[in-house]
Amino acid sequence: MSVAPAPATRPIEFRNATLDSTIAVLRVADAPALADALHKMLGGMPDFFNGEATVLDFAELADPPQRIDWPGLLSLLKRFRLQPIGVRNLTPPLAETARQAGLALLDAAELSEPPPESARPAPAVAEAEAPPTPAPAAARVEPAPAQVDTLFVDRPLRSGQQVYARGGDIVLLAGMSNGAEVIADGSIHCYGPLRGRAIAGAQGNASARIVTTNFGPEIVSIAGVYKTFEQGIAESLAGKAAHVRMVMNGTEQKLGIESLALD
Amino acid sequence: MGKTTTSAAFASGLALRGFKTAVIDFDVGLRNLDLIMGCERRVVYDFVNVINGEARLNQALIKDKHCENLFVLPASQTRDKEALTEEGVEAVIRELEHMGFDYVVCDSPAGIERGAIMALTFADEAIVTTNPEVSSVRDSDRILGILQSKSRRAAEGREPVKEHLLLTRYSPKRVDDGEMLSYKDVQELLRVPLIGVIPESESVLHASNQGTPAIHLKGTDVSEAYTDVVSRFLGEDRPLRFVNYDKPGLIKRLFGGK
Repeated sequence: MSVAPAPATRPIEFRNATLDSTIAVLRVADAPALADALHKMLGGMPDFFNGEATVLDFAELADPPQRIDWPGLLSLLKRFRLQPIGVRNLTPPLAETARQAGLALLDAAELSEPPPESARPAPAVAEAEAPPTPAPAAARVEPAPAQVDTLFVDRPLRSGQQVYARGGDIVLLAGMSNGAEVIADGSIHCYGPLRGRAIAGAQGNASARIVTTNFGPEIVSIAGVYKTFEQGIAESLAGKAAHVRMVMNGTEQKLGIESLALD
Repeated sequence: MGKTTTSAAFASGLALRGFKTAVIDFDVGLRNLDLIMGCERRVVYDFVNVINGEARLNQALIKDKHCENLFVLPASQTRDKEALTEEGVEAVIRELEHMGFDYVVCDSPAGIERGAIMALTFADEAIVTTNPEVSSVRDSDRILGILQSKSRRAAEGREPVKEHLLLTRYSPKRVDDGEMLSYKDVQELLRVPLIGVIPESESVLHASNQGTPAIHLKGTDVSEAYTDVVSRFLGEDRPLRFVNYDKPGLIKRLFGGK
């Protein structure tokens, strides 16, 4: 066994990058209450988030507390696979405690949230090979161009691949496999088998739908409301054309799956 | 799963058809191809020696004992797999092209680590071997995805790598009994054109123990199935064989014919 000497490169290098992050708007700062809420929202899917960089926004904090239990809050969020990187809209004394807890203060940073409907940035395709490393720097979303095109995927989406149609719809022309993930801010249209995780309306658009000619997903989700298929998919739907949309059940939102007649 | 067995048989098949063929073992640290090709005692220099400039390519190429125009480039048993650099692999493949090789068969290791990535980076066509079981199919799906994102063709935005699906260790009886996925199920899951089905057979074991690629075992199902694969690869039309199970009839059961 021989060990080759490491090539003479600089041990550290700085590059400019922007980072997409999730903004978590906290209306309470109390860890147990948040734990309840997260548990209700994500239920059986503790790994819904995938270590995403998260900015905690306290602008809508109903009743600003005297102090915040940062270690408790951070470990809670990490338990749900969120990676907090910074805070904003905190009062100066609380902001100071956040800084001591290792979070960045991002009040001055330019954080642009994509507006729900009008302006939408361009779609982005990502390979899930390397999860993004959370950078301690300010997270910034590029300014949005006026219109986005639908994102077309011509080849089968394979296990381990992930595609995100930012701001718009996605059309899968060759289907997707188990273990793949498709995310769209708009709707998902799949011509071929839909087999992995399909997440539509990722920014909260509840009128998004998931349409496929061959229904067989692991998980479907629209605007954060999701459905898993642990007990298998009903025979009337499995492998058939179907669409998923949000339906109101009294005041409760749930996902309705209906078969489609194709001829 | 049958990757090395297939590489050896397929490369031999191409050589038997008259093409000048090289087969490269990318499984650094767990080399096996030289054993299956029966040339393990003739390995002096290996792939990593060539990449590191310690040997010339034609010093490392081993001429196959069965076929006139087949050459084996063995992997190193002792090196770290990081020894395979992209530039090094590219240089070797370009040089083989320069030496007039018609086909270069890259025998990929299992998994999705460096050796496998290097084996697929320069591919024009890929034969993905899979066994008729769910976990193997899932792994193949993953490697197909990597093929379409990491290959040089994908990086340069050229025509994508042409994919072929090869099922190995297929047992029509076990498919019939519902113990195994059928080739139709696998094809439905992966949606890649099927280039062949290799039946489960003891002769594969004999062949690899003897250091003879399975295609040379004349008259066996496996040899015929690999010959069909090579023909289909070269664009010929061959009906799919060895995929149906015939229940043994009464006479056969009584007399135990085999």
